[in-house]
Amino acid sequence: MNKKLSVSMFVLIVAAMLLSACGTAATPTAAPVVPLTGNDSSVPTSAPASAATATALPAGSVTINGAGSTFQQPAMSQWAYGYSYVDPSVAINYQGTGSGAGKTAILNGTVDFAGSDSVLTDAEIASGKDLQMFPILAGAEVITYNLPELDATKDPALILDGNTLVGIYNATITKWNDPAILGLNPQLASKLPAKQITVVHRSDGSGTTEIFTNALTSFSSAWTAGHGTTVQWPVDKAGNGIGGKGNQGVAAAVQNTPDSLGYVEYAFAVSNKLPFAQMVNQAGQTVTATPDSVVSAMNDFANAFTPQLTAVIVNAKGAASWPIAGYTYTILHMTSMTDCVKAQKLVSFVNWFLTDAGAAKQATTIGFVSLPSAVQQQVLAKLGQVTCNGQALMLK
Amino acid sequence: MQSTKAIPRSSYSPLRRAFKHGDRPWQGLIVLVSILVLLLVLGIGWKLWQGSAQARSALGWKFILPTLDANWNPALDQFQAWPFIYGTLITSLAAIVLAVPISLGVAVFLAELCPAWLRLPLNWMVELLAAIPSVVYGLWGIFVFLPRVVVPFGEALFSVLGHIPLLGILFTGPIPLSGSSRLAAAMILTIMIIPTITAVTRDVLLAIPNSQREAGLALGATRWETIWQVLLPYGLSGILGAAILGLGRALGETMAVTMVIGNSIESSPSLLKPGYTMASIIANEFSETVSGLHTQALIEIGLVLFAMTLILNLFARLLVWRAARRTPQEVRA
Repeated sequence: MNKKLSVSMFVLIVAAMLLSACGTAATPTAAPVVPLTGNDSSVPTSAPASAATATALPAGSVTINGAGSTFQQPAMSQWAYGYSYVDPSVAINYQGTGSGAGKTAILNGTVDFAGSDSVLTDAEIASGKDLQMFPILAGAEVITYNLPELDATKDPALILDGNTLVGIYNATITKWNDPAILGLNPQLASKLPAKQITVVHRSDGSGTTEIFTNALTSFSSAWTAGHGTTVQWPVDKAGNGIGGKGNQGVAAAVQNTPDSLGYVEYAFAVSNKLPFAQMVNQAGQTVTATPDSVVSAMNDFANAFTPQLTAVIVNAKGAASWPIAGYTYTILHMTSMTDCVKAQKLVSFVNWFLTDAGAAKQATTIGFVSLPSAVQQQVLAKLGQVTCNGQALMLK
Repeated sequence: MQSTKAIPRSSYSPLRRAFKHGDRPWQGLIVLVSILVLLLVLGIGWKLWQGSAQARSALGWKFILPTLDANWNPALDQFQAWPFIYGTLITSLAAIVLAVPISLGVAVFLAELCPAWLRLPLNWMVELLAAIPSVVYGLWGIFVFLPRVVVPFGEALFSVLGHIPLLGILFTGPIPLSGSSRLAAAMILTIMIIPTITAVTRDVLLAIPNSQREAGLALGATRWETIWQVLLPYGLSGILGAAILGLGRALGETMAVTMVIGNSIESSPSLLKPGYTMASIIANEFSETVSGLHTQALIEIGLVLFAMTLILNLFARLLVWRAARRTPQEVRA
């Protein structure tokens, strides 16, 4: 009988130890931030905030948390790493939880900044949380295709235009030898087969889909499925659509399905050496996706920003502009940050990756496109208006 | 009971007596844990119910009613969940239809016929199948299983069954060249639930007393007749339970299915066409929802899936109870 008692006591003790272990394990991560909030009241009295914070703080003592868009995550993780050399006192965590989750997180105050490919809705802006979007990078999208009839080394790249693309995703153009496609590709006319086009799209909700459907909406009024991170694809109902999860899923589906096509991020297509189509843009020019043609599109829309600094940059007018591109954004609080040390570090970090040549290079090598100066100036002007407890923060 | 020795009155305090033998603390602990499980289920159900309140009032019953022309367009706030409900049901049922005979065969072999030297390795292999992560099944599915097995099998189904009236609706082809289809999902699920069904069925068969086998053989039955007419009916309730366990796993499987089903909202009910399931639409769209209603609609799909598994489990219990009443002993899985 006593044995039973001791066994039960043992179980209780173990349970108690486990619980307390959980408690202690959680504190160290929170600990480095705590002394800082005590500090920041004393900092302005002793010295200008900038000088004091740059030198006085121990390495990794300011933790800045961000979450959101998976699209910009590769750039963010590069930058977070790179910035640890610029300012060792800052540790930046960015979690790729998805744009929607990122926006929710900053609305709920669980992160310091959010990454997003989609714009804040009117309701989210009206919630009074002083949120502001800052375009930080642009990305392009390309149409990758699998046509076994073509010889990748000898034949020229396939050429498509907006109306044809809408037709394909609407399932009104269903065969590769459709007159619309033949007309755009006279050189390939003899090789394009009389076969059904299998159309691949993203199955997961994604900023990539939002940019692509923005483009389709802009290309033609025949596109009625709307635009957003997820839409209902008419080609699915026609029985010729396949959804792949992520860029990888789309690429795998295209590679495994003869006579198919699908849209992927430009960066992904380049790094995986996928063939992709050229596009005829609004000016009637045949262009290919390059950083330059995306910059051209950004310049075309440099004066089209909303007060929230958002702009849709698809179907640009310029002769050299790539028609399927979009911004990815960082979301910050404009006035309601209260921890000024952290706020200053955060603004400095954003300023750094927007202006530093090394940061730009880190992003462009993985397939993003940095902002041209006409856009960058507007973003920096807005960033300079961020305040903490009513005081302006420095861009440095 | 241990002694009649005089013990000081003070040590007989009610509290001390209650804890002395350790029974009460044990009882308390166990009741607590059981209540925790109950609370967990209720909590999940409540949260799903609460989280989908707006969607339920805005979308109504139309949300889950069968239709051939369903709309799921978050960009335009149109939500109908039937394609996903249908996809989950058809792939899981097809998987059960394929998996039960195979599992039954393997289990009978393992329990009754297998030579001793083969039993252990075969057992291991079956259990290993259950240990492979579903994302690995998905990858293997995309690159090997779909093009090599599913596509030829799907084409054969189309040519044999595709033109039969009524049944042919389920086998209208042709299957996409990549193999992404409801059939692919069903076949991957089959492989994933075979170990579950096999292991439980094998244990059920092993639990049948030898007297049953001996009685069968003594009556002049062959081995085959003993298995078919004595052992299987005897263990029927357990085998049904095994199948339901498998079905439960198939209903909720997400990753592997998402990778092979094609994630396409089809109007065709055919197994050979790409489809979508409830678990995969939630996994696909939850992280990047377009609007509040979109989130709510996804939570409502979660609610439907939750209710479906609950009902299925109740149904399974009923089946097992009914079958158990018919069998002579209280053999349960």
